[in-house]
Amino acid sequence: MFIQDLKNDFYRHLVGKRILIVVNYDIDAICASKILQALFQYDHMLYTVVPIMGITGLRRAYGEHQGDVKYVLLVNCGGCVDIVELLQPAEDVTFFICDAHRPLDVCNIYSDRQVCILGDATLEENIPAFETIFHDSDGEDDDEDEDQSGDEEEAHNDSGAGDSDGEEEESAHRAPRRRKLTRLERHEQRILRQRARRQWESERDRIMFEYTQFSYYGRSTALMIFELAWKLSKDNMDLLWWAIVGISEQLLLGKIESGAYTLELEHIQSHVSRLTNKTNDQNTMSASKISFENDLHLVLYRHWPVTDSMRYSRYASCQLKLWTLRGEKRLHELLLEMGLPLVHARQTYSAMDLVLRKEFYSMVERLAEKYDIPDIVYGTFTLSYGYRSRYAAADYVYALLAIMESVKKHKTPEDCFMEASDALNRKDKQLLGAGIDNAKLMHAAIFRQVQSSLEARQVHSAGSFFYYVLQEEHAFFSYPYALGLLAKFMLRGHVATSRARAAPDLPLIATCPLDATQGMCLLVGIAPVREDSPKNFFGKAFEQAAQKSKTTLLQDFFEPSVVQLRQSDLTRFLDALTVLLT
Amino acid sequence: MSRANKLFGDKAFELLKDLERSSQTIPAFDDDGVRQVLEEIKAIFEENVAQASSYNSSGDRSLWPLLNYRHAALQRNKRCLLAYLYERSKRIKTLRWEFGPIIPGDIKQALCEPEVQFFNNYSKSLAAFMCNAGCSQGQGIDLTNNLHPPKSLYIEVRCMEDYGKFELDDGELIHLKKNSQHYLPRAQVESLVRQGILQHIA
Repeated sequence: MFIQDLKNDFYRHLVGKRILIVVNYDIDAICASKILQALFQYDHMLYTVVPIMGITGLRRAYGEHQGDVKYVLLVNCGGCVDIVELLQPAEDVTFFICDAHRPLDVCNIYSDRQVCILGDATLEENIPAFETIFHDSDGEDDDEDEDQSGDEEEAHNDSGAGDSDGEEEESAHRAPRRRKLTRLERHEQRILRQRARRQWESERDRIMFEYTQFSYYGRSTALMIFELAWKLSKDNMDLLWWAIVGISEQLLLGKIESGAYTLELEHIQSHVSRLTNKTNDQNTMSASKISFENDLHLVLYRHWPVTDSMRYSRYASCQLKLWTLRGEKRLHELLLEMGLPLVHARQTYSAMDLVLRKEFYSMVERLAEKYDIPDIVYGTFTLSYGYRSRYAAADYVYALLAIMESVKKHKTPEDCFMEASDALNRKDKQLLGAGIDNAKLMHAAIFRQVQSSLEARQVHSAGSFFYYVLQEEHAFFSYPYALGLLAKFMLRGHVATSRARAAPDLPLIATCPLDATQGMCLLVGIAPVREDSPKNFFGKAFEQAAQKSKTTLLQDFFEPSVVQLRQSDLTRFLDALTVLLT
Repeated sequence: MSRANKLFGDKAFELLKDLERSSQTIPAFDDDGVRQVLEEIKAIFEENVAQASSYNSSGDRSLWPLLNYRHAALQRNKRCLLAYLYERSKRIKTLRWEFGPIIPGDIKQALCEPEVQFFNNYSKSLAAFMCNAGCSQGQGIDLTNNLHPPKSLYIEVRCMEDYGKFELDDGELIHLKKNSQHYLPRAQVESLVRQGILQHIA
């Protein structure tokens, strides 16, 4: 069931009790869990935070903590799977789900008391009505049973055993009514009922298929938890900044459309102005401030030379085709018109002249239309504290992403999760700095990979979609988000350079081997370029293709467009997918 | 002058090097080494006394630098010995804060008798201080309980290793698994933090 009044129905419920918080591996979830931790610390509620990566992780974490906790909070996980069936919990365990993934599983929506979904039911689209999916089928069965038992009664009249007394009474009660219809008519009625039932079932299947066909994202979890903090009057700049990072992640990784993002911006701006006016030290230069400004979609441009930042940002790079020689020349033209000397453009942003730095944004904005990069401007927030630190929300997102996927031999994914969580503290600036450096490496690697692959024409077309296969495991690309970024860049780059008319309409499937020993590879599906909405149909498509080709697919992650399968099954799977999508 | 082909003060230096090598634990008290250094001091001192008395009788100032040199060597040995003893006593004091008023058996073997007495006396004075410090409440505060002055009732900790089930005072069972983060009452988890199983997140 949905809980809208988070303060009373959710928070007040939990005060004084022990909670298990299960967090998925994405930045929105990390930000939401940090805000929750801060809230729980104010009220001295004992909690336990467990990071998990997929459905198996969720099961394992729940299994370990099973007997101890009565309240489980699932952050950005578990909304799309039937929790009660998956985890088989005890009767008194309550689950609170705060998940940005959609579509939410209908069993979770219509559960009575065990599963509560935090959110506004009216904002959700297309939830099937209760009657169309769940039919109270007991009544029907009873009728049929009594029908048959009525028959049996007539046939065996001498079964006067004690245990069938009740049955006898019932059937005797109903018998006078039933005996009015002849046997044939009863039969007819049963057939009619069965046909109606089958019709209802097929209708239900159709509705369910439409409902679960596309997977998309709803409101950011971090923002929702921040609003809870606001209602409890326990919000402050830090929590607001974490919420901003959460929703920026949704925009930058393509999970929500820019329209939805702009709507949320207004709410966030009101929070920002309210909190800035509340603190009374805003006149000191070194106070922490969040400011709203129009910014550029250039990756980490404050921490990099301008040329690098332009080259490695997907939007600018693909519009100007910066991996070709002609593209480089256009970049130089752009810099020339902006009045930015090449010497300065090649140094780190912070080493540029002050005058140039101040004018950089306005110059790019002016020339954006001419160079065909109009969407490079977008509204976002910047955090500045102290005299040296000034970070845009996008910087945080990329840094956290790089930290989260920097899994090495001695550094498990959970370590990376904890490090990313720590990097959100303002005190641990060096973690954030390390993350930014890592993010720079990741983007440079993505660009190089795209450049080499496009020149070698490694993006193949399979009729109804493109596919791109990486041959060996890569330090960066064996993880879902990095592979996703690479695939998006690759698709847009390919579309920009290819002359086929249908190119903007075709999706891309990218795979990368995960682990040479086990032979598993990671598969990511990206929506076509022309599609504006981030609705992704790959979840269902993968499932059906796997069924058709009888391959075992591991749809473990909570993002349905990312799956794992065996390297050897890859070709069969792709063939089945081709057949499916034509 | 001493015709022996050795340097002054190298035995004392060796004592200190040994101590430095085992920087956290207390190595066995090097009875032999200390005795050798003391003998060396005595030897130097005797030579100096002999020479000084001959100067008193002859008035010859030409060997004055040699006297100074021996005196300096003597003082260096003395300093080294004192440093050795002081460092050991420092480590014994930290023993009290880490392990409590009873020394574990294997460490006790490494200490010599005066050092054990030093430990006991230190324990006694610490107990008297703690008793007096909390006298306003009627009972002493146990200062050795917390590593730093506690700032809050509950602390946030991260689990560094798999520990299994841990029971709190009110019966709640916490399952401590590697890399899970918890928020627990400080007093009960302090011992785990000290053992290193949980890491305190500031």
